[in-house]
Amino acid sequence: MPRLAHFRAKREASMLRLDTTPILHVDMDAFFVSVELLERPELRGQPVVVGGQPNRRGVVSAASYEARRYGIHSAMPLRTAGKLCPHAIFLDGRHDLYAEWSDRMATILSRFSPVVEMASIDEAYLDLSGTGRLHGPPLAAAHALLTEIGAQTGLPCSAGLARTRLVAKVGSDQAKPRGLVWVPAGAEAKFLEPLSVRRIPGIGRVTEAALRAMGIETVGQLAGIPEERLQEFFGRWGTALYRKAHGEDSYEFIVDAEPKSISHSHTFGSDTSHRPALESMLSCLCQKGAQRLRDACLDACTVTLRIRYAGFRTVTRSKTLSEPTHLDPVLLATLRRLFERHWEQRPVRLIGIEFGRLSHGVNQMGLFDPEWREKLERLARATDQLRDRFGFAKVQFGGSLGCAKDH
Amino acid sequence: MEFTVKKYDLLAELNLTQGVVERKTTIPILSHLLCEAKGNRVTLTATDLELSIRTSCEAKIKKEGAGTIPAKKLLELVRLLPEAEIRFRLLENHWVQITSDRRNYKMVGMAKDNFPAIPAFPHPLVKIPAGILSSLIARTAFAISMEESRYTLNGAQLTLKPDMIAMVATDGHRLALAETDHSFAGLSNETRPLVPKKAMTEIQRLAGEAGENGQIEFARDDSHLFFQVESRLLISRILTGQFPNYEAVLPRDNNKKIVLERNEFNDAVRRVSQLADQRSHALKFSVGQEGVELSASSPEYGEATENIDQEYGGEPITIGFNGQYLLDFLAAAPDGPISVELKDEQSAGQFRPLADDQYRYRYIIMPMRI
Repeated sequence: MPRLAHFRAKREASMLRLDTTPILHVDMDAFFVSVELLERPELRGQPVVVGGQPNRRGVVSAASYEARRYGIHSAMPLRTAGKLCPHAIFLDGRHDLYAEWSDRMATILSRFSPVVEMASIDEAYLDLSGTGRLHGPPLAAAHALLTEIGAQTGLPCSAGLARTRLVAKVGSDQAKPRGLVWVPAGAEAKFLEPLSVRRIPGIGRVTEAALRAMGIETVGQLAGIPEERLQEFFGRWGTALYRKAHGEDSYEFIVDAEPKSISHSHTFGSDTSHRPALESMLSCLCQKGAQRLRDACLDACTVTLRIRYAGFRTVTRSKTLSEPTHLDPVLLATLRRLFERHWEQRPVRLIGIEFGRLSHGVNQMGLFDPEWREKLERLARATDQLRDRFGFAKVQFGGSLGCAKDH
Repeated sequence: MEFTVKKYDLLAELNLTQGVVERKTTIPILSHLLCEAKGNRVTLTATDLELSIRTSCEAKIKKEGAGTIPAKKLLELVRLLPEAEIRFRLLENHWVQITSDRRNYKMVGMAKDNFPAIPAFPHPLVKIPAGILSSLIARTAFAISMEESRYTLNGAQLTLKPDMIAMVATDGHRLALAETDHSFAGLSNETRPLVPKKAMTEIQRLAGEAGENGQIEFARDDSHLFFQVESRLLISRILTGQFPNYEAVLPRDNNKKIVLERNEFNDAVRRVSQLADQRSHALKFSVGQEGVELSASSPEYGEATENIDQEYGGEPITIGFNGQYLLDFLAAAPDGPISVELKDEQSAGQFRPLADDQYRYRYIIMPMRI
């Protein structure tokens, strides 16, 4: 799993603006449906809806392109979808399965760039700058990446390649299904101009209605409105709108994306009750989580251990730390104690960790910090630097040796 | 219980109890005052189990006795009443009747026996001038940790020796220490209790009432601290636990020294902090031949740089500090020159107001990694 939040912590908005290196937005097409179709290929070409049965409460999580032709879309009540297309195939969601495939996709993405931000379970941003010698120019890399995902997973996906995250995202949306849209630097305005304002991420029904009242329907029209005027109408949101209309990332877009928790899990190929294997995996997951904490300049205050046994019973146990930290040994010691106390000595299917109650505070040094803390800080910084260059598995604590693969 | 009392006599004491009464308590009786009429005085007691206050005022007692009254409602009502005598009378079912001229109120009380017992004042240990105690608290209380997990840091350590008194508070990132010489007649041993933050606020209130030359009688038992000013007694539970060994972290060889005027320094930090990161409050503090450069930046709002001219002959140094920590100190420090003493970017910085030598006031901040 690549490192969430890496992007926002290490790249400032101003750098994104000046950097002409393209940003790639990868978005899986009808992700949940596509995953289901892998297991049930006989449903291909039929209207498929994931989320639950149409006679029950709930909303559509994903709909195949065939189902979308009947007007079905995500977040629509299942009953409504059932009325629109009674002969559609309705499937219950299996989120663990989707998460597993999402991890696989993330693994492939991280081969193409060290800077990957998983924006959600089925989409990610990559910064391809500096990867030229490995993967060729960004467009070639993007093509190779899409081919690779197709070959490795059989899942369809689309991508947008552009100077900014916003244009890349709009691009991947336009590219669907199974497409790649490249918006060269300088061509953003022309690309965005004819699109409806709703295509811009962050513009929903409310803003759309407000804009329509001003006689604005396309991004081109929006881009023609002076910033001051938008500010007058929308306040700070107006500034963001202005930037979005010009294809720039708005600050709000980046700042809002702060993670609330960081989690990692591993599903064993076959269930295991081998203690060393479990402890080793725990160490590996902890190190990955700790590194993501540091990348995002965050400290965690709660540590959670998740164990799923064969037969799917899942146990979740948390512990609150006396003070927030991002240091591997402190976090791991807590996880080990949780594991020691709560593992039922039975075969485990999945083991996972989560760091929660995140706060910024990494940089404040303490008066009564023992000497070992500063040493661990230096160790962590050195480790992170090495991993940035050579990959996660190249430097690790002994406890996870043989466990951490390079992903 | 039946008595009459003058409005302002009562109001002054009621005001003192308000800081102690719990607003959000799960134990109903703790939102009440215990009201006891005896001799020619009426005594009011409030407690949150950690901190208690007992105070009294003159009253004409018609019938001795005791009852409880909802504290907040009583204060609000008494505030609104005209300046005149107020009559209190205990009714059946713990109700209390309150009368002022032809105005009539009845408040729902609770059984007085349910009111927690308050420890009695033991043998007084020593008298502390109210002004000194108040000054020590003002210089240190802000550095107390608000994090509940660091329990022993939720208060300050008061040190009393036969010839000096000191108070030190820390939240683990910064530390404020003030001490002054004073000879305490009758004190033979050293005592170092931990005073909870809430108690410190109330001690200051009490000290304020005692006036410049007032004296606070101090006593302690195994688990309580007692502060008495005339008829007013504040009782605080002592925080348990080990206060960190702060003497070990006091800087000794901070040899990069520069002196800044408090007001100039304070204004600059306040302005630059406007554009500091909203979460970390990080400021960059660079000392060079020209003086000090303060700078900060926030990805959301922008950046700031200010220079304070001052001669400096030492080695240049750049160090990061939490701007809020600086402001807390500068608000507590008296006007005049402040000596800033640094060692390197990873060691604690020390700040001393040179005009405040009576209190040998020192403030120590650990830097931020920048």
